[in-house]
Amino acid sequence: MLATLREIFQENWEWRRQILNLAVIDLHKTVRGAVLGWAWLFVKPLTYIAVFWFALDLGLRAGDSTGGDYPYILWLSAGLIPWFFMQSMLNTGANVYRRYPFLVNRIHFPLSAISNFYALSEFIIFLALMAGLLVVCLITGVHLTVYALQLPLIWILMFFFWVCFSVMVSPLSALSKDFSNLLKAFSTPLFWISGIIYNVANMNIPLIHQIMAFNPITFFCTAQRAALCDHFWIWDKPEILLPFVLVFALTAVVALRNYHKLRKDVADVI
Amino acid sequence: MSSSETATSSIPQEFVRPSVVRDNDSNAEVAIQFEHVTKTYKLFKSDRARFLATFSKKIPFKKVNANDDLSFTIKRGEAVAFLGNNGAGKSTALKIITGVLYPTHGRVTVHGRVSALLELSAGFDPQLSGRENIAFRGQLWGLSNQEIKELEPDIIDFAELGDYIDQPMRTYSSGMKARLGFAFASSIQPDILVVDEALSVGDRRFSKKCLKRVHEIMSDSHVTVLFVTHSSASAKEFCKRGIVLEHGKDIYEGDIKSAIEFYEKRNA
Repeated sequence: MLATLREIFQENWEWRRQILNLAVIDLHKTVRGAVLGWAWLFVKPLTYIAVFWFALDLGLRAGDSTGGDYPYILWLSAGLIPWFFMQSMLNTGANVYRRYPFLVNRIHFPLSAISNFYALSEFIIFLALMAGLLVVCLITGVHLTVYALQLPLIWILMFFFWVCFSVMVSPLSALSKDFSNLLKAFSTPLFWISGIIYNVANMNIPLIHQIMAFNPITFFCTAQRAALCDHFWIWDKPEILLPFVLVFALTAVVALRNYHKLRKDVADVI
Repeated sequence: MSSSETATSSIPQEFVRPSVVRDNDSNAEVAIQFEHVTKTYKLFKSDRARFLATFSKKIPFKKVNANDDLSFTIKRGEAVAFLGNNGAGKSTALKIITGVLYPTHGRVTVHGRVSALLELSAGFDPQLSGRENIAFRGQLWGLSNQEIKELEPDIIDFAELGDYIDQPMRTYSSGMKARLGFAFASSIQPDILVVDEALSVGDRRFSKKCLKRVHEIMSDSHVTVLFVTHSSASAKEFCKRGIVLEHGKDIYEGDIKSAIEFYEKRNA
C-alpha cells in the first residue's frame, strides 16, 4: 500500500512539468476553433449561476432560507462554483482513461498522472471563477472576513480528494461500462440531494444531517459557505470535518488498492 | 496464440514474479532484454464478469498467453527483425517494450528511450491541430518547449502537410495522419526505434522518403532498431539478425538470411 503511494508520488513528481502543460492543452482543446475562445470556459458556469439565481431568488424566493445577512447570489455561487468542478470529476474524471485512451495503450504514461492533469485543468477554471467571485465581492463591498483565509485549504483538500476519487474509480470504469454509466446516472441526483442550492442545515430531520455529513459534495459546499457566508472555521465544527476526513481516508485507501491491483490490467482492456 | 493452464511450471522460480527495469541509460550495452517473459490475457465471458472478478476470485475466465516464456537479448546498435504471422505475439512484445503493457511473468529490461513507429495514425487528438498535436506528443515524450520549437519545422516539412498543419486533425485523411505520425516518431532521436510495417505510409514517393529516413536513423550506430514484419523483403534490407515468433514463443533465432529461410519454410 505504501509502496503504491510512493510510486504515485514519484511518477507525478517526475512528470510534473508535463502534467501542468497537459492540463493547459486539455483546456485549449475545449476552446479551440471557437470565436469566443477562452470565454467559453466561463459562459456555462456563469449562465448556470444566473439561471439558478433567477429561478431561486426571484422565482421561488429561496433567498430568505439561508438565514444570513449576505446576498443570496454569493451564497449560491459559493456552492455552485465548486459543484462545476465536482461535476466534471464525477462525469469525466471518474472515467478519465477513456478520455485519453491513447495515453493508456499507445504511450508509456503513468495512469495516476492522467487523473492529476485532468483534475488540474478543471481546477484552473475553478480557481479563475473563485478569483472572479472574490473580486466581485470586493467591488460591491460585500464584507470578506478573516474566515475567507481558510479557502486555500479547502481548495487543496477538494483538489486532492477528487484526484483520489478519480484514481479510485477510473480503473473500474475502464473495466466496466456498467460502472461508468452508473456513476453518470448518479451525477444529477447528487446535485439535487447534496444541498448545493439549499441549506442542508435548515432541514429539520437530524438523521439527514448525519447522513449528509458523509457526503463530500455537501462538505465542500458547506466549507466554502463557512468561509464566505456563515463565518466559522471548519475545524471548529468536528461534526462537519470528522466525517469528511473519514470519507477521505477511506477513498484514499480504496484508491491505492484499486490502483495497485488494476493499473496493469487497464491497458489490456481499453 | 496458445492457451495453457500452467505456464509457470517451466519458468525458473526467480522469474515468476514480473519485474520491469526501465531507464534512459543510452550507454548500457544491452538495449532490450526479455527473460522468460509471459503475457497472459484474461478472457472473460462479458464485461460484467471482468468487473466482478476485481472483487472476487471465483469468476471463471480463460487464459491466453500472447507471449509464452519468451527470452531474447538485443544489444545496443543492433537491428533485429521480428518475424511471425498474425497472432504470433509480436505486437504484445512490442507493447511491453514500449511500456504500455506489463508482463505477467518474467523480467523485462529496457535501457534508453523508445519511439515506436506503430499504428502511426493512432494516438492523435482529433480536436487539436497538427501543430498542437506535435506539441502535445512532444510533452508526452518529455521534450522541453524549446526542443519542441526546434523540431517543429523539420516535422512539418517532412510530413508535407502545408497549410493543413493548423487545421484540426479530424479533417485529415488517414494518409496525412500517418505521415505526421511518421514524421514525429522519426524526428525525435530515440535510442530505440520500433518499426512496424509502417513504412508503407502514403504513396510510393513518400514511402521511399520514409525508407531513406529509417536508413539514416539506422546508420547511427548507437540506435537500436526493432523491425516487425511478416514480409521478408524489407526485413532483409534493414536487419542483420532475425527472431521468428510463433504462438508467443521464440522458435528460431539467427542471422537474418537463415531466419527468413526458416520462416518461409515454416509457412510454405
